[in-house]
Amino acid sequence: MSLRIKHLYQRAGFGLSPLEWQTKKSLSIPQAVDHLFQEADAATPLTVIDFEDLAETVTEDRRKAGRLLTQQYTLEWLDRMATPDESALLERLTLFWHDHFACRSVFGHLAIRQLHTLREHALGSFRDLCLAIARDPAMIRYLNNQQNKKNSPNENFARELLELFTIGPGNYTEQDIKEAARAFTGWGSTYKGEFRFRSGQHDYGTKTFMGQTGRFDGADIIDIILEQPATATFLVRKFWAYYVSAPADEDLIQSLSEQYLASDYNTGALLRSMFTADWFYAKEYQSQQIKSPVVLVSVLRRSLDISFNNPEAQLRLLRALGQSLFDPPNVAGWPGGRSWIDNATLMLRLNLGAGLLTKRELDLQFRDLPELEILSDPQTRKLDAEVNLQPLLALIDGNDLANDFQCLSDYLLATPARINIKDLAGLIDDTSGEERLRRMLLVILSSPEFQLS
Amino acid sequence: MKRRTFLKNTGLASAALFAPAFLQRPSLVTNGKILIVVQLSGGNDGLNTVIPYRNDKYYELRPDLAIARQDVLNLTDELGFNPSLEDLRPLYDQGHLSIINNVGYPNPDRSHFRSMDIWQTAANSNEYLTTGWLGRYLDSRCTGCDVPHHALEFGQGLSLALKGVDKRGFALNDIQQMARTNRNPLLRYLAQQDAHDHEHEQVAYLYKTLLETQSSTAYLLEKTEGKRTRANFPATPFGRDLRQVADLILAGSDTKIYYVSLGGFDTHANQAGPQGRLLSVYAEGMKALAEELQQHNLWQDTLVMTFSEFGRRVAQNGSRGTDHGAASNLFLMGGNLRQPGFYNEGPNLEDLLEGDLKYKVDFRQVYATVLDKWLAADAKSVIGKGFDGLGVL
Repeated sequence: MSLRIKHLYQRAGFGLSPLEWQTKKSLSIPQAVDHLFQEADAATPLTVIDFEDLAETVTEDRRKAGRLLTQQYTLEWLDRMATPDESALLERLTLFWHDHFACRSVFGHLAIRQLHTLREHALGSFRDLCLAIARDPAMIRYLNNQQNKKNSPNENFARELLELFTIGPGNYTEQDIKEAARAFTGWGSTYKGEFRFRSGQHDYGTKTFMGQTGRFDGADIIDIILEQPATATFLVRKFWAYYVSAPADEDLIQSLSEQYLASDYNTGALLRSMFTADWFYAKEYQSQQIKSPVVLVSVLRRSLDISFNNPEAQLRLLRALGQSLFDPPNVAGWPGGRSWIDNATLMLRLNLGAGLLTKRELDLQFRDLPELEILSDPQTRKLDAEVNLQPLLALIDGNDLANDFQCLSDYLLATPARINIKDLAGLIDDTSGEERLRRMLLVILSSPEFQLS
Repeated sequence: MKRRTFLKNTGLASAALFAPAFLQRPSLVTNGKILIVVQLSGGNDGLNTVIPYRNDKYYELRPDLAIARQDVLNLTDELGFNPSLEDLRPLYDQGHLSIINNVGYPNPDRSHFRSMDIWQTAANSNEYLTTGWLGRYLDSRCTGCDVPHHALEFGQGLSLALKGVDKRGFALNDIQQMARTNRNPLLRYLAQQDAHDHEHEQVAYLYKTLLETQSSTAYLLEKTEGKRTRANFPATPFGRDLRQVADLILAGSDTKIYYVSLGGFDTHANQAGPQGRLLSVYAEGMKALAEELQQHNLWQDTLVMTFSEFGRRVAQNGSRGTDHGAASNLFLMGGNLRQPGFYNEGPNLEDLLEGDLKYKVDFRQVYATVLDKWLAADAKSVIGKGFDGLGVL
């Protein structure tokens, strides 16, 4: 049973702290899933701030202030992902939506508003979420809907809505994009971070979209897209890639898609049925996921109870690992999977645990960081952090090396490492207590298997 | 040697145990040609790099920022270098530099990140590719390669440009530093574990990457150990990167593609000083590289392509800087250019797109030329159809 619990928390959340592991590993799956959803229900909404009106001119200083605010929100989000008191299910799912509705947000007040929206609707109806994102100021700016006007339509948002956010390529025509763009004309935003419908710029004419004709606006377009079964399938495939991370089982995709459509896109219900299904825990789905950089860092923080003396260094680390929040590579999000891994990121990942455990400087030298001034601070080159190993000591008895190593592996690894701990006894033998534990952890966290969940 | 004593043994790097995987392997076929890509990150102001010094519009739109006529290093009757590029002058005079003006792409994107993505993937501006143009080149021409150092990037992490579907380049900051990481006995131990495990495909993939990393690091270290080029490379990270490139080329490394970058070109305010300093770092580096390779008769087999993700707005902004623009110039350097000097005429400042230069040459035409004429590849299979070569190589 504890294998299943570990799998659930690694995929639906960010692993378990040592204390959580002790208290939760004997739960049944339905109990644990209930727990996860209860925590999500109890989560506190984010606080959204208004920005003073930037009027017509956006100076470089304002941009810089906006970027710094985005970085602050990033750090707060990373804290939520690493803290057992927060809802791991909700934060992990919000991370999914942040990747799905990929959007670069330079202004912090717009970034936090968007994150609030993603989080608020994360477990609810995808219809509500999609409409809220179409009205989201950060997205409106990112995909140029601000410039989408009756007399000069800009198709950027309409195109990505169809191609990346809802139904996927092959299910619509170029003409559908043009008609959808017309329906979203005049959907703009203010710099304060408020949606504004500019009726003078809206095209009130008749549109023909996916075979239906009417005086559609953006909400009608979303409704028509969501009537298509292909939309449910497209979204289910993305959930599958994120939570199951294995080649798709077409029968399961089909039945999950039908369920999602029938529930009117109730995301919470879909995830609950995935997490409580027997197949979710099948052996072939275990340890097949390469942890994303954000997940990796969150798991490490949770497992080692890390407190940072310079939290900003996490931003540099995540950039080096290839995942800067609020700054996806493009509107398609992070490609994920094996694309996380190249020689440089792998070596950084394998050395990361050792860096934290031994306070060694991680050498992160960037050649260019346009618009990322905080990372130019040389202080952020070093991950200055304290680990608290006390809770981990409770997992082992401190006598038998093989046995203790097994306990720690069971806790931290989704699949046993290709390590015969007896080979490495020389590294550990003469130590005791916390130092002995530290060395065992060094071995486990350096193993490629730790990169998987 | 017993595994038990592995970590106590000081002779960790026992030759038998770590027989490098690079002794016999297929390599990248380029007909001996070497490509060095230099990326100027942040959007270099092309108009203050190659200056249209006879153009009144240029001086009118840049009252504080224009390079005074008498300071320009004249190349033609119309165009000349920023004085900070003095070190490039001899290369230009010797016919080792081609300047292609007005390079860009349709519907230009003015975000650094997106535009860099477009350049690195060779995508249309409304298309999102997850592989880079050089990565796809490796896929097509390096199919049997089992180590990644055929294409090498100096920097923190591998750029999308060098990621293919199956093949990837190799990224490192510094060969010596990478070698130190590589000596970590724990990672060496792990790399020796048999992970050919079909049940755990991802496990096998990670172990394979680890082993390749160690092989390539050992190879690069062996190639460069004790060797130092003599030319005067600038004492900056960019200069150090170029020195390492020169070291490897001189050592006959299997590496055929090098990728280096110089950042800091995002000059929104008080541009003149910073851009001048960056351009002289660039020019000094290029001069040193060319001299070193010329001395060893390797310059004729070398092509250096320098680009930036976009140029800048023609008119200066309110803080003596420039904002993000569109088309700009691109440099090709080497000892074997078919059309040195200016490939085409300078920018037309009377015909702008939202205040930016219009492109006349698609950057993918340059890529197509480099792929077909220099790297012995099939450009169509790497970047798609419809990009005519330029005849510059």
